[in-house]
Amino acid sequence: MKNFTFNGLIGSILIAALLLSAALGLFWSPYDPMKLGFTARLEAPSSAHWLGTDEFGRDVLSRLLVGARASVWIGTLTVTFATVCGTLIGLVSGYARGWIDAVIMAVNNALLAFPGILLALGLLAVFGANQYGIIFALGIAYSPSMARVVRGAVLSLREREFIEASKVMGNGELYTMFRHILPNCVAPITVLATSMFGWAILSESALSFLGLGVPPPAPTWGNMLAAGRPFIEQAVWLGLFPGLAIALTLLGINLLGDALRDKLDPRMRGLK
Amino acid sequence: MTNEPLLSVRNLSLQVARTGVEVVKNVSFDIAAGEIFGIVGESGSGKTLATRALISLLPAPIRVIGGSVAYKGRDALSMKVPQLRRLRGGEIGVVFQEPMTSLNPSMTIGRQLEEGLQLHTKLSQEERRGRILAMLNRVGIRDPAGALTSYPHEFSGGMRQRIMLASVMLLKPALLIADEPTTALDAVIQRDVMELMVELTQAEGTAVLLISHDLPMVARYTHRIVVMEKGVIVEEGRTADLLDAPQRAYTKKLLSSLPFRGPTRTIDRTKAPMVSARDIVVDYGGRRSLMKKTTPKRALHGVSIDIHEGEVVALVGGSGSGKTTLGRTIAGLVRESEGNIRFGGRSRNDDWMDYRLNCQMVFQDPYSSLNPRMTIVALVEEALRLLPDLDAAAKRKRALETLEEVGLGFDYAGRYPHELSGGQRQRVAIARAIARRPKFLIADEPVSALDVTVRAQVLELLSDLQKRYGFSCLFISHDLGVVEQVADRVVVMQDGRIIEEGDRNTVFDSPKEAYTQRLLSAIPALDHNAQGGVTLKWRLEN
Repeated sequence: MKNFTFNGLIGSILIAALLLSAALGLFWSPYDPMKLGFTARLEAPSSAHWLGTDEFGRDVLSRLLVGARASVWIGTLTVTFATVCGTLIGLVSGYARGWIDAVIMAVNNALLAFPGILLALGLLAVFGANQYGIIFALGIAYSPSMARVVRGAVLSLREREFIEASKVMGNGELYTMFRHILPNCVAPITVLATSMFGWAILSESALSFLGLGVPPPAPTWGNMLAAGRPFIEQAVWLGLFPGLAIALTLLGINLLGDALRDKLDPRMRGLK
Repeated sequence: MTNEPLLSVRNLSLQVARTGVEVVKNVSFDIAAGEIFGIVGESGSGKTLATRALISLLPAPIRVIGGSVAYKGRDALSMKVPQLRRLRGGEIGVVFQEPMTSLNPSMTIGRQLEEGLQLHTKLSQEERRGRILAMLNRVGIRDPAGALTSYPHEFSGGMRQRIMLASVMLLKPALLIADEPTTALDAVIQRDVMELMVELTQAEGTAVLLISHDLPMVARYTHRIVVMEKGVIVEEGRTADLLDAPQRAYTKKLLSSLPFRGPTRTIDRTKAPMVSARDIVVDYGGRRSLMKKTTPKRALHGVSIDIHEGEVVALVGGSGSGKTTLGRTIAGLVRESEGNIRFGGRSRNDDWMDYRLNCQMVFQDPYSSLNPRMTIVALVEEALRLLPDLDAAAKRKRALETLEEVGLGFDYAGRYPHELSGGQRQRVAIARAIARRPKFLIADEPVSALDVTVRAQVLELLSDLQKRYGFSCLFISHDLGVVEQVADRVVVMQDGRIIEEGDRNTVFDSPKEAYTQRLLSAIPALDHNAQGGVTLKWRLEN
């Protein structure tokens, strides 16, 4: 149990740092992240530019701080969107069964058959390449896996006797679904949602890399990482720091997610 | 040499390695060749672990910390793997509790039976086949040759346990360890399998170590018994002596927890019945899907049953008899294909909500019938959610009172189900069912998942509550001992039909149908004596 609080603490610290820097980036950064400086291109980290400068002489630290906002925003909204949609679809599908389930799952499996990024590409072509287009596209691309996981959990839960007990008490289907089934799906949902956050940030960078993400010059961690790639031999910090930021964020989210899942589960109480 | 026991266990102690808790303490017993020896205990008594240690099959976190096990004078605890492998199966056979999982579902029966013979004997393939066929024939498999190429799922639980027994006895072991061999089976099949096991082992001169929580069953077949509680042997002795004059309080408690015949009550059956089901037919699986039309399987063939006010009607029968389906149909969980159900003189469909509020159910498995994410008080309070005349405070008060009534005080209210024992959980389930003061309660095997002593307490609670609130009860059970204790009237089902019904005393004392007689032959009548002992009288012994 000591382990659990330690992991939870690390996760909280990392996420707090992320949120703080995203908030900070809204008001202040050491330099203007868009300001080009042709005299200071590809400078190594120094006391003037703590994390160095990029190929246009822009300050990497400033861009990271400002980019945090876009990444956090995209990650959070995408995951929320996918979780809400996927959970509802999965709940209905698993609870109703029969032809409703068959139809929903047929569509779902068809969507799952496409690689997520390809689906997102297609959707972006429809919705336009901007921040909200990405959120919408990735959200739709991730919903099927959430739906699938939730449906699986619901299928096994609905056979449990407490669901029948709820029916015998006269509770309606909707009440049973949200009071008895949904809370017991929290564990798989949390696990999947936290890993999805990671996928979302990475996919955003992949889409940015393909030129379909947040349009430059606005910074996101993804497009910074992508932009740093050609210079990896001359200026490793260009890719290193955004990469590190993404990695630490994912670590933080995963640790915090696990801790939250255990915290929310009454069965973990009293096992001290 | 002749006096040397086959198996001798001395001061065996086991410990959970991580926590240091001793789960078995100083256990000693001897088993003579050809003897039938019983270990009786409730869950957590360490009976299974103690016997697993004999053949070094302990689960990983458990360690032997002291004592010795000698098999034919050889130290079994320090044996190396090759010796152990000769011992297991070849010398000591094991029949496990769960016939559904102890056979490999992806191997044919023939292949599985052959495995042991290949490993432990030098017989040719022809000889092996001959032996297997002879053994399958002996355990009562109808088509032995056909069984060889069949898979386990093609057999019922009782048949699988016979096959399991065959696979163990093929090797003619000197000792058979049977760990709750019939607990998962229904009463009639239970008895058949036990009789077969005893007959087969006696014929081969195999000693049996029979482990069970079911004291009468163990007593029926064993020469000597030890009683275990919390890892310690409480009492041991010859079976007849131990039953007749138990020395220890725990043994007496076990014996007094055995179900007994409850007092005969007079029920007013002149008025119209409270619940009346007429000609209920239930078909399963007859849905027409896109691809194919499946033929329905008929679970109930036009069954009628009446339950009067304040009456406890027991529905008994083996597995597959349709008793649970009938209960669930009356509870409204299964739709009847034909027939109608009346409640209080009206069709229940006229006022479904009224029926719903007055018909409650207690389920079999207290581990799955409570939502693990709700507190105890919230679980009981939920039952009051749809009551129109109570405000929130009154609901909370009623929930707490009801918990108090089932023997769970105020400090249980905020706990979660996983913090409670099985018996306590079943009390919560009962509290939930009676909280809204229903007129009719359906109890589907409410005590079959519970230990003997806990079962007695829960039965007592149910009958107290029934006296206080006077609800009618449909009590579904395969355990006739329990039924004899609680029922006013007994309805016997077989293959989806009611084959016999009548007053409890009539059905138990002079059953008409052969099937009822067979059901009854599985349970003893008890005579309690002054020393706190009992005499078991097996009914209709043939």
